[in-house]
Amino acid sequence: MNLVTPMEIQECNEDSLIASARAGDVSAFKTIYELHINRVYGLCLRLCADKSLAEDAAQEVFIQLWNKLDNFDGKSKFSTWLHSVTSNVTISYIRKQRGWWQRMFDIEASDIDERSADLITDLSDLEKMIYRLPERARWVFVLHAIEGYRHEQIAETLDIAVGTSKVQFHRARTMIEEWMGNE
Amino acid sequence: MSKQDRLTRQINELAREKTPQRDLWQGVEHAITQGSTKVETNWRPQLAIAASLLLVVLVGYMGYQSGINTQSSIIAEQMSEQYLKQREELLVSFQDKPATTENWQQQLDDLDRAAAAIKSALQEDPKNPALLHMLKQVYEQQLKLIERVHAPSWQKI
Repeated sequence: MNLVTPMEIQECNEDSLIASARAGDVSAFKTIYELHINRVYGLCLRLCADKSLAEDAAQEVFIQLWNKLDNFDGKSKFSTWLHSVTSNVTISYIRKQRGWWQRMFDIEASDIDERSADLITDLSDLEKMIYRLPERARWVFVLHAIEGYRHEQIAETLDIAVGTSKVQFHRARTMIEEWMGNE
Repeated sequence: MSKQDRLTRQINELAREKTPQRDLWQGVEHAITQGSTKVETNWRPQLAIAASLLLVVLVGYMGYQSGINTQSSIIAEQMSEQYLKQREELLVSFQDKPATTENWQQQLDDLDRAAAAIKSALQEDPKNPALLHMLKQVYEQQLKLIERVHAPSWQKI
């Protein structure tokens, strides 16, 4: 006899929530939000390295999710698909929020991030170091080392070459290991 | 334990979830039930800014047409005066509202330095319309920055 696992029950429940939300049920969508907000916000915060920006980005993720639910084809787990939506929306949101001067000259926001890291409390040592990384190196490190993305996926998400993603990851890892050595 | 091993261990131990400090659902719900992310906006200051910028552009265009050698520096000065006035008015209107970003003053200072550099370049090359255009963009960016950090879209919801 095959027993249904709690995970399968949750997935089944989530399928019905998604179906209801697709049909316009806001309370079902709120349940989806409550199930995933902490995971989504965690990724937003690591990509943004700024609490306020991450909160705005997380809201943007769920607003876009409401409009994109029909795009979820069920071939992957919903959480996997949602993380992909989260990283795409957040990167795009950060780019939109950049100052004109930064966009014009493609300046990386590393010094800003370093200050922000000091302002966010309850961070582990590793998180503090991640927030100190230059922006693009941080994005690649978070997506590859923490979220488990392949460099090909990262290249597509960030619109960069696969080789660039690998170089940025190496750069991030080297910087973090150096900082660890100085502790 | 090597640094690589320590880093790998710390990555594995990292909590993937974080709880936002403010309730984000309210803004999400408002946006999806209104069917648009468009938020209520006080149009009066923005109209004033748009009208002023239009005036500046018009004055700039007329000056350019007249072929006066010193036109760009005069326009740049007029633009700067106009901008400083608008900036002052915006800062006064937002003086009771907290800024959402800690480093906005730093960003404003950076843009100030950019504007100063462009004005300096204009003195060397007063007939260069591209520099004038850049100056106008920097000023617009500063006004947007002040507005954005004091009245972010999600606070207006």
